Amino acid sequence: MITVEDLERVYLMGKVEVHALRGVSLSVKQGEFLGVTGESGSGKSTLLHLVGILDQPTAGRVLIDTTDVYRLSAEEQSRFRLGRIGFVFQEYALIQELTALENVYLPSLAAGNSHRDHEEHAGAILEKVGLEGRLNHLPRELSGGEQQRVAIARALVNDPGILLADEPCANLDSENSRNIMDIFADINRETGQTIMMVSHEAWHRPYFDRIIRLRDGRIVDAGDVFDDEER
Amino acid sequence: MLQKIRVMLFLAWRSIQRGGRAGLMLNIVIIALVFTNMLLLPSIITGAVELFNEQTVDYQTSDILISPREDDRYIADVDTLLAKINRIPGVHRASARFAMGGTLIYKGKTVSVPVTAFYPRDEVEVTLINTKMKSGTFLSSGDTGEILLGNFVAGSEDESEDFFASLGGVRVGDSITVNFENGVSREYRVKGIFQTKSYTVDYMVFLPWEEMEEIIGHENTLATEVLVKTDEGVDLDVVKMRILSFGVGEKVKTWKDVLSGLVEESIESFNIINQISMLVSLVIAVVVIFVIITIKAVHQRREIGILKAIGIDQDIVIGSYVTQVLFICLLGTILGFIISQVLMIYFNAYPLEFPDGNVVPVFEYVTMLENTALLFVASAAAGYVPAWRIARQNILDAIRGQA
Ligand SMILES: Nc1ncnc2c1ncn2[C@@H]1O[C@H](COP(=O)(O)OP(=O)(O)O)[C@@H](O)[C@H]1O
Ligand SMILES: [Mg+2]
Repeated sequence: MITVEDLERVYLMGKVEVHALRGVSLSVKQGEFLGVTGESGSGKSTLLHLVGILDQPTAGRVLIDTTDVYRLSAEEQSRFRLGRIGFVFQEYALIQELTALENVYLPSLAAGNSHRDHEEHAGAILEKVGLEGRLNHLPRELSGGEQQRVAIARALVNDPGILLADEPCANLDSENSRNIMDIFADINRETGQTIMMVSHEAWHRPYFDRIIRLRDGRIVDAGDVFDDEER
Repeated sequence: MLQKIRVMLFLAWRSIQRGGRAGLMLNIVIIALVFTNMLLLPSIITGAVELFNEQTVDYQTSDILISPREDDRYIADVDTLLAKINRIPGVHRASARFAMGGTLIYKGKTVSVPVTAFYPRDEVEVTLINTKMKSGTFLSSGDTGEILLGNFVAGSEDESEDFFASLGGVRVGDSITVNFENGVSREYRVKGIFQTKSYTVDYMVFLPWEEMEEIIGHENTLATEVLVKTDEGVDLDVVKMRILSFGVGEKVKTWKDVLSGLVEESIESFNIINQISMLVSLVIAVVVIFVIITIKAVHQRREIGILKAIGIDQDIVIGSYVTQVLFICLLGTILGFIISQVLMIYFNAYPLEFPDGNVVPVFEYVTMLENTALLFVASAAAGYVPAWRIARQNILDAIRGQA
């Protein structure tokens, strides 16, 4: 469960204030697959970063379950990101010196799982995203779609409960995009991960339980919950 | 904590494994050279000091030197003193010396030096001058009319080769005239010329004790100094205390006491040079590591952001850079150690030639450990700062930085 209350984020560009978010309130239910859409510059990424504890709000709160995440110390925030949140960036964001398998088990290692466990577990997740033959490849030896699947596997490795994805398909062709979207949908269905995904592709719409639309830092459409018939 | 270290080591190791090889090698070689450089000058200085100490003991003071009381010119009743000292446990032999001023003349050239008398049989037990004969032979007790010259006194025919006034190339078998302080004048045949390479010793002149008694005109019971050789392996200070406790009222000094003050000052100057050189080496190491880690961290800024974004602690990220630095240092010091050992072998075969002797650099393990520790600490700090500066940056700025 994610609760966002009156979230504001103002960037200072020299003396000019840029209001990226102007008071956003939102609640995402456990297990919900939420789409975030809106024009470029409307504040989608800013919102996602704030939910992912990667930024600092100017005002307002973000609650994950009952934890007010911006009241945690830097170290506690780090541990929270490690164990409770998986983030998938638009540009894959893998560590170049680590293989696919190592990229995936790094968060697991950091979380304190034993060696045998994390290697096996990471392998299993990579298999689930269809990369069983690519475990020991370095990122530069993988295609964009494959790299993004590694990034998804990495986000999932500690079974975080919340998956945040900022336009994960923006750099991929339609076939790879579909593949990625299917993986997210499977994860959502099978493991009940709450997913919040920024996307402005019309054909993604059927994947989401609900879509919110941002414009100029405000939610202009809180979205209806699609039921299964509508898909 | 253990978990953090595991992740830190994992990241560091992968980065070493899969990062640039050439850069890594270059780093290691630079650290190795810095290490060798930090070691070399102190070892040469240590080697030079040891040479000087050895020369002092072997040719000049022996182990313990006894000299007249504060206000006296001579040690009186030296035979009794010698007998007393020779009985003290730990004493190998005592040898008395008596010096009288004199002027040596050879073919119009003159040299004014003290002429020192000793019992040759005692002297060979306390110094090694007899082993350093350049030509001719050492004195023996029965000798009359024969004199022993230091190499600098004898000099060379080409005066430009001499450091001091000399007799201009006297050879063994030549006759020289000695005018003693007390007005007596004698002719002597040069029996031998010794060369110890110690400036002080090689400007000395020796006669047998009995010959000196002839000059004085009566039996001589005075000495200007007594050299004491101790048994192998005994503690000099203990023997010194024993000599004092046996009621010897003269000044009793170990060779270290004699040198302290005299040499300490020059060693002090050596040490200053040494420390400057070491500091320069360290600064080079620090700058190189700082630059390398800065480049590396700036280059990996985005990855640092990603690591933090997925929940890896900033400390772990910084730690992984410091670990890499320590690894570079470890290999660098090992390589440096090998280089210095090779140099050591080389210098043992081909010592550095100085006018006062051949200096073999002495690598002191304490110095080496100190240097290694210093190098590690300085490098770790030099790696920590840039890693910390990049790693503390805002996560999103870091990720966006190079995207
Ligand atoms: N680091 C930043 N500094 C200044 N302005 C920023 C920064 N990040 C985002 N903005 C501004 O905030 C607004 C929202 O940005 P963003 O959340 O990235 O939009 P979206 O993801 O919807 O395209 C935009 O006007 C953008 O220019
Ligand atoms: Mg965006």
